[in-house]
Amino acid sequence: MFRAFDWQDLIPLAKGAWLTIQLCAMSGILGVIFGLILGIARTSPSRIARWISTIYISCVRGIPILVIIFFIFFGIPLLFPGLELDKFTSAVIALTCFAAAYVAEIVRGSIEAVSRGQSEAADALGLNYWAKLRYVVMPQARKIMVPPGVGFIIGLVKDSSLVTVTGLVELTHAGNIVTNLTGDPIMTFLTVAAMYFVICYSISLLGRLYEKRTGIQVDPLKLPEPASV
Amino acid sequence: MTVIFVENLNKKFGPNHVLKGVDCHIREREVVCVIGPSGSGKSTFLRCMNGLESITSGSIVINKHRLDDSKTNINLVRQEAGMVFQHFNLFPHLKVIDNVMLAPLKVAKANKDEARAKAEMLLAKVGLAEKMEAFPGSLSGGQMQRVAIARALAMDPKIMLFDEPTSALDPEIVGEVLTVMKDLANEGMTMVVVTHEMGFAREVADRVLFMDQGLIVEEGSPDEIFSSPRNARTQGFLSKVL
Repeated sequence: MFRAFDWQDLIPLAKGAWLTIQLCAMSGILGVIFGLILGIARTSPSRIARWISTIYISCVRGIPILVIIFFIFFGIPLLFPGLELDKFTSAVIALTCFAAAYVAEIVRGSIEAVSRGQSEAADALGLNYWAKLRYVVMPQARKIMVPPGVGFIIGLVKDSSLVTVTGLVELTHAGNIVTNLTGDPIMTFLTVAAMYFVICYSISLLGRLYEKRTGIQVDPLKLPEPASV
Repeated sequence: MTVIFVENLNKKFGPNHVLKGVDCHIREREVVCVIGPSGSGKSTFLRCMNGLESITSGSIVINKHRLDDSKTNINLVRQEAGMVFQHFNLFPHLKVIDNVMLAPLKVAKANKDEARAKAEMLLAKVGLAEKMEAFPGSLSGGQMQRVAIARALAMDPKIMLFDEPTSALDPEIVGEVLTVMKDLANEGMTMVVVTHEMGFAREVADRVLFMDQGLIVEEGSPDEIFSSPRNARTQGFLSKVL
């Protein structure tokens, strides 16, 4: 009853890959937005903001992503009976919740890595908190957060394979279906792996391109030229 | 007219009592140099004057703004008191000219052409007109510190605070920064300078404060302090550094 793996099987896999891309693009973008807000809140002068974001980040980081996926997928419809979530939306929500916490920690670390002198110089010029963040701290923190941020998004693409448990036909799930049709898990999952690889490698190339384009203009190791009086 | 009133200023970092009741009045156009051994509290004293350090007790009034009053908008005080740091703290992601223009544009909401004209004028004044489009990372320490002075001046402060402005510089380029500071003093800027440059203090200061262990131990004209110090601790310190 099995048939050989052939080019036609690439179609459901490509559809799955496209869904994985959409899933990760949406949860990645939303995760970065909420992560930025949470990360800034985590370093803000407001105690309440710090408190809320710290609790959120600690909770999410202490829960396996699979549990978050199950909780959103099965829990939300029970908690809010009127609310109908399709599989894709609940997967996006689950991955966004997960991503926001990790991105927030990357943002916090990057903000804290900008030297205290920078913040003091901005204070001494009379810049208020938001102006300091926008014009002095974040432009420098951004360069620090890009490499770990790109690393995290690549991790998110791979972790997104876990939403296969909800029955959403993303790339891994599509691989399962094709295996059941063809009985050829080797060719199928080699193809699936190659597709994941292409997605992840593209993200890492984009990240490197972005780093190059926004790179620090000055070589920090360059020796100062002799002073002219 | 007195523009800085410091009365019974106390500052504690946890159990560490850094300032133990500092009293000091500084008049308009006065140049005051603060000298003393490391750990005597002179930098902390200076940093309290623009709110970079909170005050444990006592009072500071800068141009009628009370720093110990929580209703005071500290950013207004900071616009009137420019600060120059030991490690320059230029913004490395901004060009020299943008470093100088940032506060006028974003704090004073000046228009761009005016802010630029002013920044060009200030950079010319500190001798760096040709470095306007450079990034701070390509400048020498002395050049960076002169940019930092121009940046602080861009808000038209009435007072300039200098926190060991030449301590991070190579000896042969200390002079270029001190020259800019001397010009500023001659123009009548009110200045408080924490420094180890005794020659500068002697030549430029109207008054020298000697601090030790969180207190102003002795103060007087440069001549009084350097030629005939009365306090034993001042004598001991000066005998080591002069």
